[in-house]
Amino acid sequence: MNGTAFTEAEFMICQCARLIRDGALVFIGYGMPQIAAILAQRLHAPGMVQVYEFGAVGALPETPFVRFTMGGPRNCYRSVAWTSMNTIFAQAQLGLIDMGVLGATQIDRFGNINSTIVGRDYHRPEKRFPGSGGANEVLSQCWQTVVIVKHERRRFVEKVDFVTSPGFLDGTPGARERAGLPKDTGPWRVATSKALYGFDDRTRQMILLGVLQGLSVDDTLKEMGFTPLIASTLEELAPPTAEELRILREEIDPDRAIIGGAGD
Amino acid sequence: MDVLQAGVGEFSVTDPDELRAFMRTEKQREMVNKVMPEAEAVRRYVKDGDYVSFDFSSFTRGPASLIREIIRQRRTHLWFAAKFTLMETTLLAAGGCLRGVDVGFLGLGRLISKFVEEGRIKVTEWTNGTLALRHLAGAMGVPFLPTRSLLATDTLTYSGAKVVQDPFAGKPIALVPAVNPDVGLVHVQQCDIYGNARCFGPGVSPLETAMASKRTIISTEEIIPIDDIRKAPSKTTIPYYLVDAVVHAPYGCLPGGTQGLYEMDAAHFLEFMSASRDEQAMAAYLDKYIYSVASHEEFLEKRIGPARLLALKRQAVIKEGYQ
Repeated sequence: MNGTAFTEAEFMICQCARLIRDGALVFIGYGMPQIAAILAQRLHAPGMVQVYEFGAVGALPETPFVRFTMGGPRNCYRSVAWTSMNTIFAQAQLGLIDMGVLGATQIDRFGNINSTIVGRDYHRPEKRFPGSGGANEVLSQCWQTVVIVKHERRRFVEKVDFVTSPGFLDGTPGARERAGLPKDTGPWRVATSKALYGFDDRTRQMILLGVLQGLSVDDTLKEMGFTPLIASTLEELAPPTAEELRILREEIDPDRAIIGGAGD
Repeated sequence: MDVLQAGVGEFSVTDPDELRAFMRTEKQREMVNKVMPEAEAVRRYVKDGDYVSFDFSSFTRGPASLIREIIRQRRTHLWFAAKFTLMETTLLAAGGCLRGVDVGFLGLGRLISKFVEEGRIKVTEWTNGTLALRHLAGAMGVPFLPTRSLLATDTLTYSGAKVVQDPFAGKPIALVPAVNPDVGLVHVQQCDIYGNARCFGPGVSPLETAMASKRTIISTEEIIPIDDIRKAPSKTTIPYYLVDAVVHAPYGCLPGGTQGLYEMDAAHFLEFMSASRDEQAMAAYLDKYIYSVASHEEFLEKRIGPARLLALKRQAVIKEGYQ
């Protein structure tokens, strides 16, 4: 844990959770977004409504968190409705889902996301990943999407090897709308293990909004494959609070399978 | 309607009138007993080269016992719809059954990625949502449906979707072709002998899958009397005439769980993940859990055992909503 009192995963999850608005309908992706959603629900956002791609709406997941399965009874506990994939993506397309929360293998300057392949030749990729899953729908249809991603140079690239899910495309004004994507949608925040980013309204470029307390701007930039814009006033991002850590470690993930730090 | 962009991914088109003719003559209207052993259901309805779709997932209410039987019978050149797949495609690919996958979400473990990287398994890119939508189009008997997903991505480029200008309002819109699987596999909690089937809990698209597929095989935890069906018809997910075979398969989702009945076997998934690191280990896994046992019953008896089954059943303490 590098002498600090929390892991990188814990900070990412806390940052991501803090961005989830109380009262919003929030499309939750697989893995870390699930943990962030439960944390948000138990702290500042008891009225946020979790939405899953297989149609469960409003679940109050039982903890400890069960890894692997998203559709199992503990994770879908006390939902208000169990619909279906076509129903729930239709509701996102209809404009009902306020936020989406997603992970990513790679992300670029304009917030385009890759979760399909790494390598230049699609037909012979260096590495194959699972592909879109529901991420393409989430980033296409939800009003605002939060991307949670580990702060690593190989993940922050000038241009993604494959656009799995659409960010602001080439960054030109109205690029998403011209392509037929729903108006006023797209990536909103990128929460990493070191920093927080948004997207500049005019240029659509990723912009550094804040840095984890104790780190410098350079500490974040040297771990990126491109230089983002930097906000004129940078926020100092608070490390996880004792209460956030207690919920993560005691309620959600006592085995520390996802938050890390087992044995520390 | 001008085509603005066309994906290059491989897919096949079903003529809606050929489909109607099939539905007219091949889907039995009479209520007849369709219960049969898994071996017979797969022998009758899954052919080499078929397009196969299933619901829901390896972790939850998936037709794992039917997929093991397909591997046991060594079908080849299958194409699977992966609205999402977790262990299924790895097992099928390692068993030599698989030619390609419509992705969705392609899991699970390192081996399936390696097969794709080496070009041994073909892939057409879609998304979970657009694959479900293709099944809906197939279930409606229309050739395609529009969506505002996929647009402006490489996912679309390597899919079979097309972008057109909306002929009514003028904005670009993606069209995804219907899919009509040769076979749909759906695991359910309850079903009668005729095929009236009940799924409890969320699922991907069980009804769309059964409607779109030419043949549907149901595997069920429990066979219930039709009288129970008639007393609570709103619980019927899939009506009997969509169903060609009913296989009684208690614990049929293992190592996944079936909601309200038994939890997934997390230890087994760790064993699977460990085996999915290389082909030799996976061959040993296939041998242990599929080839060396004659049936699902023998799999349960010899490879899982009553103590484990009881433990997984006891772990399923949440019953709300699943009956």
